[in-house]
Amino acid sequence: MTWTAALVVALVFIAVLAGALWRQRRDQERLKAQLEAAAADLEQLQNACSRLAPAGVVQRLIADGIALDDAPGAERKVVTAMFVDLVGFTQMTERLEPALLVRVVNGYYQRVSDAIEEHRGQVGSFVGDGVVAYFGAIQPNPWQCDDAVHAALAMRAAIRAYNAELESEGLPPLAIGIGIDRGPGLAGLMGSRARREYAFIGRAVNLAARIQGLTRIHEVDILVTEALRAELDAGFVLAPMPAEPVKGFAEPVVTYAVRGRSESRQHRGE
Amino acid sequence: MASALEHVSWETCLVEPRPDRALESYARRRMGVPVPSLRYFASVPWLARAVVDLHPELGLLMHLEQTVADALTLIVSQENSCRFCYAVMRMMLRAQGMSDARIERVEQHLSRANDLAPRTAASIAFGRSQSRVGPGGARDARQALRAAGIGEDEMREIAFVVASTDFLNRVHTIPAIPSRSLERMPDQLPVRLLRPLINHILQKHRFRGRATPLERAPLYPYARLVGAYAGSPIAPALGQTIDEMWASPVLSRRCKLLMLAVIARGLGCEVCALEIGEALQREGLDTPALAQILTHLDAPELDDIERLLVRFARETIWYEPAVLQRRARTLSAQLSGPQLIEAAGVASLANGLCRLGAMVLEHP
Repeated sequence: MTWTAALVVALVFIAVLAGALWRQRRDQERLKAQLEAAAADLEQLQNACSRLAPAGVVQRLIADGIALDDAPGAERKVVTAMFVDLVGFTQMTERLEPALLVRVVNGYYQRVSDAIEEHRGQVGSFVGDGVVAYFGAIQPNPWQCDDAVHAALAMRAAIRAYNAELESEGLPPLAIGIGIDRGPGLAGLMGSRARREYAFIGRAVNLAARIQGLTRIHEVDILVTEALRAELDAGFVLAPMPAEPVKGFAEPVVTYAVRGRSESRQHRGE
Repeated sequence: MASALEHVSWETCLVEPRPDRALESYARRRMGVPVPSLRYFASVPWLARAVVDLHPELGLLMHLEQTVADALTLIVSQENSCRFCYAVMRMMLRAQGMSDARIERVEQHLSRANDLAPRTAASIAFGRSQSRVGPGGARDARQALRAAGIGEDEMREIAFVVASTDFLNRVHTIPAIPSRSLERMPDQLPVRLLRPLINHILQKHRFRGRATPLERAPLYPYARLVGAYAGSPIAPALGQTIDEMWASPVLSRRCKLLMLAVIARGLGCEVCALEIGEALQREGLDTPALAQILTHLDAPELDDIERLLVRFARETIWYEPAVLQRRARTLSAQLSGPQLIEAAGVASLANGLCRLGAMVLEHP
């Protein structure tokens, strides 16, 4: 009788223990699944964030564990700013169906962004049909001026190739205007508590946007300022343009149209 | 189990492996186990030897605890997203009997500074900052290490572990040395059965360094850097690697110096830039030509290979595996296999040395 009772107690004890172990294992598996789901969500969020801000900024925020409210203040930097705009976009919006227009414009954004990233720049923001880009804002880049002009030339070539595609579909070709300037300013995450974006504040961004407007007057596609020209490799072929007044600047601004690379440099495989 | 870097894109390898018995037996003698990447570097012997000789656990550390050095290696490889080095590190931990789950816990533990001893936390923070910020953050990093009570000798060893890991990461990433078989290896039955034996062999070949005199003053650029380690076994190891790199005939000495100069400029390492600039002048390159090359990565004085490689050197400064491998693939169409491998080795070593220089030498 005693043995039977002991056996029953032992069996009950084993059953309770097995039950507890099984519950613990189940909880562990549930927690692990939750953790994996959270990790997948975080990765998705990181991918989504990468589309809203330069990838380098998102990675730094995630890696450093910085809450957006505590995001580091802006840093003083010398940055090359580029402003790209579609010429004749308003007329295009009137001529094309919205769905088609979005497809065409997304193709333009993609090509412009690819050229910027290929040459070590970062897309700062899309402003309507315009694109603001920075060179040397996130990582130090002593070659930022040459990079920006190489990117502009790559955009010219990419848009030319894109136009051939568009024309084969019976769609109107695109034309772009690009303004580039260089100067000191503040770079970092800026905005309200609810919404921030990586930005660069400085005279160079304003001037890049203004001289992009001058591309229509001078009937060229790429214009750079005197400050940028002074830093550029002599292998770029530039043509001086007449000084023009621009809004917000007291003196008329001297600009240079970028024709391309000199033939001797191109022969070296550039 | 999936590795944390499984999603890092990794090109197909850019170079053909070339078995070399002498090099492989050298590696086996020093490390106890075969080094799977060595055959990819065999066409450039100095690089193949450096891949073995610059491992800190092979008698190069006298002051830094090996566990901290291992943690630094893991963290820097993870930061740099080098699939190959990360796979090697995981395999070593698996050989020590750690399960995947345990390794994950260790990684999470290393990510939470609050759970770590202040000295370990400071060392890891330093490793991360050097990967992300580079020499620009060296001054702050030095202060943080001092504040954690880490002495100068230990600090120099921490800097060396980070720099050598950075070198090993880059040199495996640029030519996309295959990592898949290494990633799978710990789960293979023979490896699992032999795990205790593998661990025993690995541990037997790891040893602490002993004071080693620097027998002759180095004459090449980076002399001050090697001199800063005088008395440590790191100095002769570094000195020999740099010596052998200069002696290698695959790329010209001037081409290598130009690559080093571009990386020093990109990273803002003034001490390295100064020494390399002087060496380039001795090679017959005048100051205006050097200024033109460093400012615009081009000049009429450059030959075709130099022109390709000064631009490539610049691409290696900020660590993005996909970009590095894409640029290297473009290069592979224009260079021979040994030239590509030597270029990867020089760029990787320069990146490590500049980061080391910023840390252990006071800037003017």
